[in-house]
Amino acid sequence: MRSVSVIGIGETKFGRFPEKSLRALILEAGAKAIDDAGIDREDVGALFMSNYNAQSFSGQGHLGPLAAEVLGLGNIPTLRVEGACASGSLAFRQALSAVASGMYDVALVGGVEKMTHQSTEAVTAGLAGASDMDLEAGLGATFPSIFAMIANRYCHEYGDVRHEMALCAVQNHENALLNPDAQLQKRITVEQVKNGMPIAHPFTIYDCSLVSDGAAFVVLAATGVAKAVCRKRLVEVVGCGQAGDTLTLASKRSMTTFAATVLAAQQAYGIAGITPAQIDLAEVHDCFTITQIINSEDLGFFAKGKGAVAVAEGKTAANGQMPINVSGGLKAKGHPIGATGLSQIYEIVTQLRGDGGGRQLKRADIGLTHNIGGTAATCVVSIFRGR
Amino acid sequence: MARRGTIYTYSIVHSGIEAFQEQTPYLLAVVEENRHRRMARVEGYTEKTAITIGMEVTFLSDDERGNPVYTFA
Repeated sequence: MRSVSVIGIGETKFGRFPEKSLRALILEAGAKAIDDAGIDREDVGALFMSNYNAQSFSGQGHLGPLAAEVLGLGNIPTLRVEGACASGSLAFRQALSAVASGMYDVALVGGVEKMTHQSTEAVTAGLAGASDMDLEAGLGATFPSIFAMIANRYCHEYGDVRHEMALCAVQNHENALLNPDAQLQKRITVEQVKNGMPIAHPFTIYDCSLVSDGAAFVVLAATGVAKAVCRKRLVEVVGCGQAGDTLTLASKRSMTTFAATVLAAQQAYGIAGITPAQIDLAEVHDCFTITQIINSEDLGFFAKGKGAVAVAEGKTAANGQMPINVSGGLKAKGHPIGATGLSQIYEIVTQLRGDGGGRQLKRADIGLTHNIGGTAATCVVSIFRGR
Repeated sequence: MARRGTIYTYSIVHSGIEAFQEQTPYLLAVVEENRHRRMARVEGYTEKTAITIGMEVTFLSDDERGNPVYTFA
């Protein structure tokens, strides 16, 4: 397999954009990524397009040709990829595999979701399709309630972490203040999180990630090709792992460690020849506050049961030893489902290039993205290294 | 003899999907019976009910989808 590098990135601001169509979001982010890569449209060999549910949210299917038409990519092959909230990183992994195998020298990966024009009930119902419609949604379970059950079990096994969960939200909001693409740029307090509108005990509205519109794109190239065209710091994909787990919560062996995360991370670290301690920064899937804590343990950053205290000690803050979600994460940057995994890569590449502006970290040579779909039923972990 | 299960974990849902919104707040739990876990509804929840992991619940019936429904009694 050939070495593959990221040569271009582009994203829209995340937020509520009722006036922007899927086409407009795709055009803005896709054109930015192609321009950033410094390539011609004719150089793109294939398009891998991530989207979770435009069919239900907007009645639009067949996102591959839609995006190819919008971006003027001609007759290249396209593929739409869906894996719930992990759709973006799944599409990335497909493109990575296609370039690494030698099938294409350059591939474009895109993700888009448009959600905010729908009512909260319609969005919640649309998202519930990533759980089991009979065994979970059919009982009245929503994703907040499923992860709330995980949170209650975690507190039972490891002690009450309500305060630290709230701190995760506070910290991600703090980080988003410095990210111009973030949907929410608003400082919040622990008390606000704890006393917010109850959604599913113990979660309030502030424990939940956002409903967002947005798009993100990444251009991948064989590293040999990339060296010839890339004018910025080359960011090599040094490891990528993927693993799965059962769809339903009740069938999981453990609810407080996600097997898919552990296994995908093992693969990625193994391929990269890197240990968790060598990671300078990570974008970690924080669909809910408890999810970030559990994932930070499963990724090997902190011992099991110690992820919460690490947040309280400031270790995950932008100036901490293991900065997590300096972008603001799904909690404050936003969570346009199909674009999320690619937006995480956007942040890592931005940091590794030193283009983070006000939120630029001092040391950013090796970064990790972690993206899960559904109840941690799909997971992709990728590791990037600046050359 | 009534079937008994224990609450493995739970959540009280305050904001649900449309079909269930009128029933909020309602209690969902993963209930363990003979080491087998299933997601279930637990009837009879009020804001005065103190719920703890490990507490026992009694099987009431299966709902129309075949999912178990329990009660505190």
